[in-house]
Amino acid sequence: MKDLHRRQTVSGLHHFLYGFNGVVIFLIAGFMDITQKKIVQSMAARSFVEPLSSVPWPSQQILLGAVCAFGCLFGLSYVYREGKIRNFTVKYSLIVFEIIFCVLVMRSINMAYDGVVLLVVADLVQGYEGKNQKILLVMAMLALYIIANYNLAALQMKIVPIEAYFSYYTPMVQGVLKAVCNIFTSLNLVIFVLYMTMLVQSQQREKERIKSLNAQLNAANAQLRTYAFEVERMAETRERNRLAREIHDTLGHALTGIAAGIDACIATLDAAPDFTREQLKKIRETAKNGITDVRRSVKKLRPDVLEKLSLPDALHQMSREFDASTGMRIVWIKEIWPPSLREDEEVVVYRIIQEGLTNANRHGHAAKVEISVSLQDEGLEIILQDNGIGCTDISPGFGLRHMQERIALLKGQLFYANQEGFQIKAVIPIGGQHYDKSGYRR
Amino acid sequence: MHWFQKRKYQFWVWGIIVLIFVGSVLFYMVQQSQKHILRVGIFAGSNWNVPAGDSYAVLDAAIQSFQEEHPEMSVRYVSGIKKEDYAEWLAEQILQGTEPDVFFVLSDDFNLYASIGALEDLSVWETEDTSFQEKDYYAPAIAYGTYNGKLYALPFESVPTLMFVNKTLLHKEKIPVPDNNWTWQDFVDICRKVTKDTQENGILDQFGCYDYTWQQAAVSNGVQLFRTDGNFSYFADPKMEEVVHFMMDLRAINHGYNVTSRDFDMGKVAFRPFTFAEYRTYNPYPWRIKKYAAFEWDCIKMPAGPSGKNLSQADTLLVGMSSRTKNKALAWALLKKLCGDPEIQKLILSESQGLPVRKDVVESKDTRQILLKDAPGDARMDISVLSEAMEDAVVMPKFRKYTAAMLMADNGLRKIIEGEVPFNNALNKLQKEINAYLQY
Repeated sequence: MKDLHRRQTVSGLHHFLYGFNGVVIFLIAGFMDITQKKIVQSMAARSFVEPLSSVPWPSQQILLGAVCAFGCLFGLSYVYREGKIRNFTVKYSLIVFEIIFCVLVMRSINMAYDGVVLLVVADLVQGYEGKNQKILLVMAMLALYIIANYNLAALQMKIVPIEAYFSYYTPMVQGVLKAVCNIFTSLNLVIFVLYMTMLVQSQQREKERIKSLNAQLNAANAQLRTYAFEVERMAETRERNRLAREIHDTLGHALTGIAAGIDACIATLDAAPDFTREQLKKIRETAKNGITDVRRSVKKLRPDVLEKLSLPDALHQMSREFDASTGMRIVWIKEIWPPSLREDEEVVVYRIIQEGLTNANRHGHAAKVEISVSLQDEGLEIILQDNGIGCTDISPGFGLRHMQERIALLKGQLFYANQEGFQIKAVIPIGGQHYDKSGYRR
Repeated sequence: MHWFQKRKYQFWVWGIIVLIFVGSVLFYMVQQSQKHILRVGIFAGSNWNVPAGDSYAVLDAAIQSFQEEHPEMSVRYVSGIKKEDYAEWLAEQILQGTEPDVFFVLSDDFNLYASIGALEDLSVWETEDTSFQEKDYYAPAIAYGTYNGKLYALPFESVPTLMFVNKTLLHKEKIPVPDNNWTWQDFVDICRKVTKDTQENGILDQFGCYDYTWQQAAVSNGVQLFRTDGNFSYFADPKMEEVVHFMMDLRAINHGYNVTSRDFDMGKVAFRPFTFAEYRTYNPYPWRIKKYAAFEWDCIKMPAGPSGKNLSQADTLLVGMSSRTKNKALAWALLKKLCGDPEIQKLILSESQGLPVRKDVVESKDTRQILLKDAPGDARMDISVLSEAMEDAVVMPKFRKYTAAMLMADNGLRKIIEGEVPFNNALNKLQKEINAYLQY
């Protein structure tokens, strides 16, 4: 709100600068027009012409020329400021025309007033953007001031000095006229300086505002990151608690029951073997129920996508999403899948690839990861090769340990090395002829 | 709504286009109508301060002849502007931007208007137009219209200065009329002889000369008073010293008596410098009877100084073209008609008081007849003398401060010649003063 107000003040001052200059130019042109008419009326033309170095313009031409040229200058300046022109050529041809009309205005009033130059300078400064325009700005200003420099212009442009007009009047009136002229010039300077100060201030504030907004944005981002981390931690804790409860409720319950039943069986084994056999059957039932419960729990840990899609499809989807969310390019260079995999095996494969991608992104800052899956003699071979910074000191962190644990469950092996980035290679004896080696059956 | 706005927008665009079109057609029509008018600036009366009859006769004849060649053009001039008002009138016209396309330029105005660019530079026209040859004209007349080496105005008529001789007085004193090669010494000798008290009442009543100025003496002694750029003067020149001594000698002969024009009119003065215009005006009837009936008189060249020749200044009336005229080609044609057409130039002899500026016109048989017809008695105005005087005439330097500088010099020299200031170093002082003014 305050900024808007300030910007309005600046543009208001700019308009005032134009208005003031317009009035001054009109007054000077009018003064010359009237003086020339008075000179003709009072038969003083010959003595007026005597000291001149050029033929004066006819009086109406002075007025018309000054007003028209100033009108054009104002129009151009308006288009320049309000038109929001981005095209470099258009913008600079506008400035060139502004300078031409500025010179025309000054020529019309016989260079008696050079305040118009400041108008063009104001436009130049307002439209100033960046370094490459600095030379242009300086050159334009220099040229304008050279033109406005009275002595030089009088030589080249055949000027009737305003003093010649003054000399028609009595010394007292001459004094007043000179004073008025000086006041106009000084007032114009004051307005110009004020305008420049306001403009610079306003631009400074704008810059500061953008800077502070940027800082706020950064702070908010950092906070969001912390939140995300915390949410992740909380979810992990919740999941752990749930698992603990689950284990306690199902496996704990079943094992407690089995332990108690086996104790009883030990006691009754000799006295009543039949009864014990019955009891053992019951215990087996309990153990079976326990296994079912554990399975159910494990099933709950399976990724959702694996419930809906096949492993390759789920992996493709996951990698696509990862690609989209992190910008890291993921390329499948080889895909040879075993004909069928167990659910837990699928989970392990899925998690290995997921974890590998996460590591490549988080620790390796890789831009590209190549994945190859193939069936080898030793089993299923999964290779993830990234182009990241690698790892100078390979200490199996959390991710790698997890991976190793998972693979160990399936009697597989995990290799990793720094090789043009970081490479993870997992060999799991599953699929094909190794199918039976995992001693766990459904 | 959208349709309506679009229509409104179109209306404005078409309106502006139609306005611009109508405006340019009107502007073109006004320009075209102006193209058929040539305006001429001229003053009434003679440029040579002598009584004149019909001062527009030559111009009228030129206009008539011009319109026969360019029937579509109409040439106009404002009549009745007196010579003394003409400078102001012309300045006003220039200030208002309405100056005539072709105008007569007074010699006091020429330097100003040539320097500020009110006059068109004719050098270009002159070189492009093969029908215009500078050599047809008297060189001093062309030089009169030249400023900074460029021709800004064409000469219309010229007036050389000659020495008027009172033949009756010289005859009475048994002195022969000097020839055209006479010198200052002859001049001073004759003056000494004729200056006397004829009535023997103790007061001088017969004199040698009247109105002979130091400027005329300087010209005939070959003094160059100013550097060509007008920034330096040479008043301390030894030739100038001779001039001052000569002027002092002349003055001493009269024993302090100030000769008046009345003495001259009564036939009591032997010599008086006379312009050709005055000769032309007062020699024929009726002026001859009215003014100089008591004696016979004639004109010869000015006496030559020890370092100079029998030269004098020639004054020229110029015609220029406005630099802002829209009809430059036709204005040039009219200028040529006025200054270069032999028929029109011949009219100057009968209708005006000056001398044509074309050599062939002056030296033609017709001119001799016109001059002879107007010269009764035994006047013997020799055309070749006239033509020689014109050909060799000295043109005053052309720079803006000339008039003012000469006024200063005249003032200073008058004091020196009249003995108000001691002579010993006066010329050096005068030169310094004038240089200071010129360089200011």
